[in-house]
Amino acid sequence: MPIITVEDVWKRFRIPHEKRATVFDHVAGTLTFLSGKRYSYEEFWALKQISFLVEQGESLGIIGPNGSGKSTLLKVIAGIMKPDKGRAHTQGKIAPVLELGIGFSPDLTVRENLVIYGVVMGMSRSQLKRDADSILEFAGLNRFQDSKLKNLSSGMQVRLAFSIAIQTEANMFLVDEALSVGDMEFQQKCLQKFRDFKREGRSIVLVSHSMDLIRSYCEKTLYLANGEIRFFGASVDAASKYVDDMKAPLATR
Amino acid sequence: MVTVLTAKDFKIRYRNSVLGFAWSLLNPLAYMGILTLVFSLLYRVNIPNFAAWVLIGVLIWRFFSVGTNQGLFSIVSNPSLVSKVYLPRYLLVLSNNLANLLGAGLEFLVLLPLLVILGVSFSFTVFLLPVILTFEFMLIFALSLSLSALNLKYRDFYQLWDIALQLGFWLTPIVYDVSLIPSKYRPLYLLNPVTSLMDSARLIFLAGQLPSLYDVAVVLVSVVVFFAIGLAIFRSLESRFAEEL
Repeated sequence: MPIITVEDVWKRFRIPHEKRATVFDHVAGTLTFLSGKRYSYEEFWALKQISFLVEQGESLGIIGPNGSGKSTLLKVIAGIMKPDKGRAHTQGKIAPVLELGIGFSPDLTVRENLVIYGVVMGMSRSQLKRDADSILEFAGLNRFQDSKLKNLSSGMQVRLAFSIAIQTEANMFLVDEALSVGDMEFQQKCLQKFRDFKREGRSIVLVSHSMDLIRSYCEKTLYLANGEIRFFGASVDAASKYVDDMKAPLATR
Repeated sequence: MVTVLTAKDFKIRYRNSVLGFAWSLLNPLAYMGILTLVFSLLYRVNIPNFAAWVLIGVLIWRFFSVGTNQGLFSIVSNPSLVSKVYLPRYLLVLSNNLANLLGAGLEFLVLLPLLVILGVSFSFTVFLLPVILTFEFMLIFALSLSLSALNLKYRDFYQLWDIALQLGFWLTPIVYDVSLIPSKYRPLYLLNPVTSLMDSARLIFLAGQLPSLYDVAVVLVSVVVFFAIGLAIFRSLESRFAEEL
């Protein structure tokens, strides 16, 4: 049973030529419309005809240049965005780590924020009460549990968020370049945690620009370009194809 | 989830200032003082215990205006909870409204002794206050569904609601009695559910009477109607929330 099924997914964004984001704009826009000018927008397909499967226990890398649709695809998988065509289906519990510290409030304490973010990531309050200390331990923030979040350095905040996120009992983690946080020691801890996940048979979907990460953590990699699949297969092959593509324009210069 | 998000909204509201919760009491008190003073000086008010009467009106109105106004921003003020993770989006509106219900309940509770000082003698009907506040909360939630979704689509929508609230302040009997409204307009005037809530609150506090069946009916019908509209608007706009933020 595949853990992610993506079937012929298309996602369209509309980029209006004159953006009507306000009531005022709409009233003004309707008047120009009546006078014969047409309201127009450009259609932009962020994802085109995307189909692939990820099996239980496999991890998936997603690579591609900026604006190629990586984050949109991740949002479709997470259920945050609905595709215009096709369907994306996931099996089991997913933990979206598209951004760290979602719902954090600078004026609440570290411990209060821990509970908020934990619940947002799908943990129960009783689980959080039980695990709060070990999470703070992992983040190295025991001493600060009752200080306001805003008094922590940004690195510490990210460490807190990451430590909470990885406690989720999900069988799949969607990670959007969130690893490049914290100091070296903390990064090592995180990478170790990811290796543990893989050993436990949990999956990671990783959007990254680091070919090293992709090669060492993901069995398969999806290489996106302009919203289309340029390559899907073994990570080593995907990474070398991507690197080749990136070099090609330089060589022809 | 709802509990945690509600607690978050509630804490943020009161922790940020030195006086915290005291501010939310000072505001209706100041309002009561000013309105009572102005109106009893300018006009001959023949409402017994005008100050207490105004205070109840102000508290009911404040719950409505603050509640809908914050409900309106509940989606746009939480961009990452909408576009970086999947939660049922109505939870953001609901928890925001619940935090307001909690605040309004506390305001009433703390200001009850003041009513006693103002010479009000309570009868058992005051125990109906939670019911009235719950109905008001349902009305606020029903409206907030439409308001929050529309305010995301049209970013200046809050300006319109602000004007509507200013109009509403005068279309609701906060500082005057319903009897001032010309009788031919009165049936229309009395369709305002906030008027019915205010009327009911004054009856249970000041007269020791039960709310009228008419008021209950107006509130119930408007909750159902606004909820149906809110749900329809929210559902149809929800699928594009993540993109529009």
